[in-house]
Amino acid sequence: MTAVDGVSLDVHRGEIVGLLGPNGSGKSSTLAAAAGNLDADSGTVTIDGISRSQDPNRFAAKVGFVPQDAALYDELSASRNLEFFGQLYGLSGIALDSRVAYALDRARLLERSGDRVGTFSGGMKQRLNMAVALLHDPPLLLLDEPTASLDPASRDALFADLHRLRDDGHAILLTTHHYDEAEYGCDRVVLLNKGKLVASGTIQELTRTPRDGRAVLYGHLGELLPKYVERGLRQRLGPDVELEIIGHRVRLSASGSEQLGRALGLVLAEGMQLDTFRTPPGRLEAVAHS
Amino acid sequence: MPAPKLSRIAVLAAKDWSLFWSDRRAAILCFLVPVVLASAFGIIFDRPQSTGTAVKLPLLLVVESDSPYVGQLAQAVLACDRVEARIVSRAEAMALVAERSPGVAIVLPKSFETLATWTPGRAGDRPRMELLHNPLCTMEAQWAEGVVTEVVLRCIAKAQLGPLISDADAALTLPFQSESTAISGDARSAFNPYSHSFCGMTLQYLLFWGMESGLLLLRERNRSVWLRMRSAPVSLTEILLAKALATATIALLLIGFTFLMGNLIFGVTVNGSVFGFVFLAMAISALAAVTGLMVAAVGGTEARARSVCILVILGVSMIGGLWLPSYLLPAWVRDLSLAIPTTWAMRGLEGVAWQGRGLIASLPNFAAVAGFTACFLAVAVARLVSNESRRRRGYS
Repeated sequence: MTAVDGVSLDVHRGEIVGLLGPNGSGKSSTLAAAAGNLDADSGTVTIDGISRSQDPNRFAAKVGFVPQDAALYDELSASRNLEFFGQLYGLSGIALDSRVAYALDRARLLERSGDRVGTFSGGMKQRLNMAVALLHDPPLLLLDEPTASLDPASRDALFADLHRLRDDGHAILLTTHHYDEAEYGCDRVVLLNKGKLVASGTIQELTRTPRDGRAVLYGHLGELLPKYVERGLRQRLGPDVELEIIGHRVRLSASGSEQLGRALGLVLAEGMQLDTFRTPPGRLEAVAHS
Repeated sequence: MPAPKLSRIAVLAAKDWSLFWSDRRAAILCFLVPVVLASAFGIIFDRPQSTGTAVKLPLLLVVESDSPYVGQLAQAVLACDRVEARIVSRAEAMALVAERSPGVAIVLPKSFETLATWTPGRAGDRPRMELLHNPLCTMEAQWAEGVVTEVVLRCIAKAQLGPLISDADAALTLPFQSESTAISGDARSAFNPYSHSFCGMTLQYLLFWGMESGLLLLRERNRSVWLRMRSAPVSLTEILLAKALATATIALLLIGFTFLMGNLIFGVTVNGSVFGFVFLAMAISALAAVTGLMVAAVGGTEARARSVCILVILGVSMIGGLWLPSYLLPAWVRDLSLAIPTTWAMRGLEGVAWQGRGLIASLPNFAAVAGFTACFLAVAVARLVSNESRRRRGYS
């Protein structure tokens, strides 16, 4: 089976590129190949002109990889984890100490530096997970589904952090299957579907020409909705309004803003607690599925 | 492929050390378990060596004749200082022997009455002495047969010679004496029965330690942390060598600690070459580490690897003479045992621990263990590299 076929993309310093697509579209495989964790049957990955086959160590030193799950040793302390991974990248002595201290400070974990990672919350682990990847100050940061286990506040904080890193000159490539995240978090988006590149460009480029004129609203449920409530709601919304609920995430789509407003009213009247909601600037999702 | 860097191997091995010590209680138990195992085995299989008193065989006697002569034979057996006998009925004997309390019974049948009139060279049916023994007590049965045969023959001889000589008891005294001496190979010190159990149990535990290390590697390979390590400037060979180094150094510590405890508690010493012992300990530690790599290489899933490993370790422990001395095993098993490293390791350790073997004499065992280790290492690394290559191409 071919996971990814004919995908070619560039990521420049000072930009965040989102690999976007549904599950199984080849996002993680593309990222794993970029990180040097998968060998492609053909094609190359180069960073600053260095390919992995030419010089694996220099190539690896230029990449900071953040796997989806916290890639940390739960049995060791936060500082010991940082020390270990820093040493793998050749850091030692004062340089290592200062980088570890900086990483702990950046991850807001200075006070918990001696505690075992196994005692940390999901958000703390994710911060440390990213801190480890940044320890050797790589020009390219690769993140696999970085918001998968984060609440909205942690997700916003993560993107704020990524934007700072971008502004510092890092090149960032991340995968996500949340279109709203790609739209507000990334400077450029590469859309994948079934292992093939569907479209790529800036958000503005991709959403410049609406095709069906539908208005979309994204929201986040405070509490999971029982199935019978969801079924009743769908009946009341009617066939012109699309309602998609995946876990806490809600996507509402209607043929125009007016219909969407009415649908939103019905949803709120049903007692759904929408923590946040917003309408995106264009129809990125439609492009992905086109 | 760049050559492995020692500094990176040291960093990776130090991480494994940190992981080992992160659970202090587990680490302490890891050191205590082989000591407890070896002590328990030593206590169970300890035989008094120099107490000055002869060991008596517990024995049941079934007397199926009312004749005075057979009664005399029974009394002679009861009076023998090499057995601790008591008379019971046949039914009692059957029940007690089945429960191995004790494991042997001798039946003096009614036909033994004919021995009273026995003369040398007489033809006809000979009376049949019956031995009842527990299946686990064949050696004790042979022992009992020998003792009772001697007692009965003495009684017959006394009856035959009595009319001819004045003091038959004195005349029938054995014309020679016997003396037993335990030979440990070293005249300087006596054999310590705990030496065998400490050698065997330490070896067996090291194999289990190797297995644990392999299972840890299997677990690590399925975690995100493996992806992070593989995207770092570290080669797979460096990761594997570091894993082996960490496992081997902890194994070496385990050997040192176990024998130190054996020395302090039971007086277990290295009677032979200390250098020979150290070399063997290093080779055995490396063998334990490579066992771990083999587990990770061929294990598949963790659950599957654990089950197969336990079976293999217990098998090679038994065949290699780690539990019981190998001379108790059938000849074909003894031949087979030469093809497994535990046999060579055990013989080498016992050689330097209590047989007083020197450095040169222990080299063949060292070479054999090192040879097995090198072969296993080559197979394990080749297999792990192949597995990793498949994973990198998306076939995991």
